[in-house]
Formats: sequence, structure tokens, C-alpha cells
Amino acid sequence: MSEKKTSLAAVSTFADHEVIVPPNKLKKAVQKLKPGEKAPFDPVERAEAALAELAADFSVWMNNECVRLDAARNAIKASGITEGNKDVLFRATHEIKGEAATFGYPLVAPVADSLCRLIEHTPDLAQLPLRLVDQHVDAIQAIFHRNTRGDVGKYAAQLAEKLRHVTDEFLLHENRDDPDTIESILSPSLVP
Amino acid sequence: MVRIDFNRLRFLVIDDNAHMRRILRTLLHGFGTREVYEAEDGAAGLEAFTHYSPDIVITDWAMPIFDGLELTQMIRQPGANNNPYVPIIMLTGHSEKKRVIAARDAGVTEFLAKPISAKGLYQRVLNVVANPRAFIRTRSYFGPDRRRNANPNYAGTERRKGGKAEVIKQPPLLEKAGVTTGPAR
Repeated sequence: MSEKKTSLAAVSTFADHEVIVPPNKLKKAVQKLKPGEKAPFDPVERAEAALAELAADFSVWMNNECVRLDAARNAIKASGITEGNKDVLFRATHEIKGEAATFGYPLVAPVADSLCRLIEHTPDLAQLPLRLVDQHVDAIQAIFHRNTRGDVGKYAAQLAEKLRHVTDEFLLHENRDDPDTIESILSPSLVP
Repeated sequence: MVRIDFNRLRFLVIDDNAHMRRILRTLLHGFGTREVYEAEDGAAGLEAFTHYSPDIVITDWAMPIFDGLELTQMIRQPGANNNPYVPIIMLTGHSEKKRVIAARDAGVTEFLAKPISAKGLYQRVLNVVANPRAFIRTRSYFGPDRRRNANPNYAGTERRKGGKAEVIKQPPLLEKAGVTTGPAR
């Protein structure tokens, strides 16, 4: 092992790799608190409060995302599926999957997750089951628009579970000769 | 105990979704940051990275032109820019194990699965600022040290040659992302 230290980084050279310790440019932002000293404010609480002030816009934003998803679905129905419009559909679905809970619609996220899996893991574009795509998109819109109804949670969970089950059965069949994809389909997802 | 003076940090947020950029900007301002720059795709993000020299990059994965993974690989090319060591936090709805591993192998510093929370984002920033990791360069990898812990139960051969690896203990990326796996390598 050899060592050299420059003004840029300290580099230790080994047989097949280097360990580089870059200059710590972010040290300037670290403040050590003395025992008993309190931070002037809680940054997480303050950020949550700032986010809460945006919440009035969330239903409008969610509606925009649903409109975008509907348009993506309709474009495929109108002109047939292509790699391009499939990507647009995936991106619209993926945004909803990631944002729904933040926007206050957590029940939408599992359905969007299921649709993402369907689009991503269907091996042959021509085999993408458009009826099942439709059912997902309709479910997302229904759960969003009826979010204030008291019974929506129960039905949304049942709907999401059923769609996920049908999707997984389809994907496992379509990928039956591809163990890597099967493993990927069966591996745990964190979202939602 | 440490606190982070966010006012001294410059962020670059890269996400094609305007709503998510607004949320991130709001959270970062809430933490106390003043300087938040935005870009809406990987290409614009790379340009903004060169122009603004941010202290921390927060990027989405799925974006048009080139995605967050490709952006990370471009930033991590030694000699390609002023700061290939910049901390990169990947914020994404992709959360499957293979995705987390791909992000790690591209040189991502921290992984944050959507839905976003103030606490989750704060913890990632705290980690990159207060516990920076060394970088490793091999023939096929350049990025933050992917070994966050020395696993006492690891029974395989040492793959790095030429000396005992130095490890700064940190939770593995998969654990941070919430994926349950077997023992770390």
C-alpha cells in the first residue's frame, strides 16, 4: 500500500483498489452542540409545518396527475401501444405511486404500484393486457374521487389486493421461463 | 450532538415532476436552506451541477433524456467535473432490491424511497454531512465505499486485495431503504 496526500484528497493505493478520502467540504455546516445546549429550532418540525401549508394544493395536484394518467391510457387506446406511449403511461403511473401518500391519498398508491409492475414486467409489449391497464386506471380515479367517503378504505384495499393478485398471476405466467424476472417480481417492494 | 446549519448548504434538486420539486424546495427551506436550485431532467441537472457547484444533489430516478442513474454515473466520472465526490441522494418511487443495488453500484450516496417525509430527508442529509464516507476506485467502480459495516459472520474470501479494508460503520443502503435481506457481505 502506498499513501499520498494532496490538497484535493488523501489517496491510499492497494493492489486492486484505491481508498480516497476527499476533503470534507460540508464540515462547515456541522455544528457541535455543547452538553445541555438546544438547537434554536427543530428542522423536521419546521419543514413539516411548511409542507402542511402546501396541503391545500394537494388535491389539485393529484387531480392533475390523474388527468395525465387518463390521457396516457387514452393515447394507447387511440393509436395502439408503442414503446413511446408505454413509457408515458409508466411515468404517469410511477409519479402517482410516489406522490399519492404525500398528497393525502395513500389508498391510491398500491394500485399505482401494481400498474407499474404490470407495465415494467410484461416482457412483450404486444402482450400488455390493456383491459387490466384500464381497470387499474379506473380504480385509481375512483379511489381518488371518492377519497372522502367513509367506506372507501375497505373497498380500496380489496380492489388493490385483487388487482395486484391478477397482475402477479399474469406476470408469473408471462415470465415463467425467466427466473431473474420472477425473482424480481416476487422480491419485496417498499412503496407503498 | 450535532446540528446541521442548512443555511450553509447549497442543494440541487433534479426531478421532472414540478410538484415534487416544489415539495423538496419547501422541505429544504423549512430545514433552513436558502440556496436550492432546480432542474427538470438529467441533462439540465448535469448542466446545473456544473454551473452551481451544489454541496448536495437530490435526484429522481425516472426522468426523460437521461435518468438519475445515468446522471450519477456521469457525475462520478473522475476528471469529468469539479466535484465527483458530491453526495447524491436518490429520491425515487423505485424501491425494489435490485433497484437499490443498481443505485448503490452507480455511486449513489443515500437512497430515499417515496413517499417522502421531512424526517427521512433530514436523516439522509444529516448522514452525508456528518458521516461522510471514503471513496473507492476499482477498475469497475468509483463512488462512496459500499461497505458500511464489517460483517463478523462473513465467511467468504476478501475480495479487496492489498490490505485490510477500513470500514466506517453505517447502516447499509438496503436497510435504510427498508429492504430486509440476509447478512451483509
